[in-house]
Amino acid sequence: MREVGIVGVGHTKFGTAGVPLVDMLAQAALEALDDAGIKTVAGHGVDQVFVSSMGAGFLNRQHGVASALVDTLNLRPAMAETIENGPASGASAIKLGYMAIASGMCDVVLVVGGELMRLISGWEATDFVATMLHPEAEYNYGLTLPSLAGMFTRLCMEKYGIEEKDLALVSVKNHQNAMHNPGAHIQLVPDLYAITEDEDAIIINPHVAEPLHVYDVCPVSDGAAALVLCSMEVAERFVKKPVKISGIGQATDTHAVAEREVPSDLLAVRLAAQQAYKMAGLTPQDIDVAELHDAFVILEIVESEEVGFFPRGEGHLAVRRGDTKIGGKIPINTSGGLKAKGHPLGATGVSQIVELTRQLRGEADGRQVQGAKNALAINFGGFGNNVVATILTREED
Amino acid sequence: MGESMYAYKCQTCGQLHHPAHVTCKKCGAREFEPVPLEGEGILLTYTRVYNLPEGYMKPFIPFGIVQFPNGLRVSGQMGTNDLEIGMKVKATVGIVKEGVGKDCYGFIFEKAD
Repeated sequence: MREVGIVGVGHTKFGTAGVPLVDMLAQAALEALDDAGIKTVAGHGVDQVFVSSMGAGFLNRQHGVASALVDTLNLRPAMAETIENGPASGASAIKLGYMAIASGMCDVVLVVGGELMRLISGWEATDFVATMLHPEAEYNYGLTLPSLAGMFTRLCMEKYGIEEKDLALVSVKNHQNAMHNPGAHIQLVPDLYAITEDEDAIIINPHVAEPLHVYDVCPVSDGAAALVLCSMEVAERFVKKPVKISGIGQATDTHAVAEREVPSDLLAVRLAAQQAYKMAGLTPQDIDVAELHDAFVILEIVESEEVGFFPRGEGHLAVRRGDTKIGGKIPINTSGGLKAKGHPLGATGVSQIVELTRQLRGEADGRQVQGAKNALAINFGGFGNNVVATILTREED
Repeated sequence: MGESMYAYKCQTCGQLHHPAHVTCKKCGAREFEPVPLEGEGILLTYTRVYNLPEGYMKPFIPFGIVQFPNGLRVSGQMGTNDLEIGMKVKATVGIVKEGVGKDCYGFIFEKAD
């Protein structure tokens, strides 16, 4: 297998795009192509374009998005496919880009993830995302992702002594990180006292799905992110030194959450991470910075345990100690995470890798983890029934 | 979804499933027999959800995951608002989503006596 590197990154300002879907995707793609020094003219050398989108057909009444984007960018006759794997679509598209290059079929692949979600109402968006759940055993009951997250949170609180304030601590940390990320949707930091202990806390921070409050749940965002991947054999063609994709893992779990052996575990996260560590020849202790899929802040805590940063049941204690802040033992979600940066479904997995590439390049202004060499991302599909882990490594000169 | 709820018993090894599977999760066999899934269970976890998807006219719905004595765990709506982890609940079947000519039936768990 050939080694694969990242030589270009691009990212729109998450929030409300105000432009059509393909224009938004093109904006991120052009930034990544410029970063790599690729000109969109004949001889561009891009062999394949993968676009990750969970629901352009449903949300925007547009199919064949990758074909449209290739033409918009003037990258014809590059191969093109649109990839759907729920909220893990982004990491899946990167994985397929990796496979296309590692196999020798392609030298250069453009991966663009994006979702335009704010054109529909909140309850339509909630219903759209819920279509991932088991049709008979979950969706037909009115269950949604926040419902499953609420039940999961209560299980973990009961089992491990996690308190509502621990969830708020994660939220505030991620909002603080987002203040240094110009691409983040939410550019304000909630006051910890106001959202937890103030007499008006329940008005400022009402329940979404008990025990989860508004500030425990990601917003609905538009946004796109893009990467240029290449074979390490052709990396000298590009402007910047490549960041290597050193490990990828992916695992699935039961569709219906209630069927899981241990409903308070995220087994697919554990298995995906183990596979990625094995491929990279690394251990959890080698990771310097991580982006973990915090669509609901409880997930950041439990994922930090399942990927091996902390013993099971102690992730919330690490949060209390400040271990996951920038400057702590293992900074998590320096970008602001899904919580504050936003979660445009198809963009998220790509956005995580954009952030980690910037960290490993030393380009994460205001939020840089000094000397970061290895980075881990967890992109979480369904309610944990399809999870992709990706490890990046900065190679020494 | 009918007005009764079933577990699906593998004809080869007896493993119970809910929801229905195409292949047995234990032995891989493909023949199942429906057996009624009813009676009392234990509430493992619950939530009250306030941002409901399209089609619900209520301010919130309580949901739970319940374990039956046969080991099966299922999600359902809660018919009571008096909820506590570990409490005994009784399975009933009712309309869990209304639709034009296509109501969905499912578990609604009530507090056991």
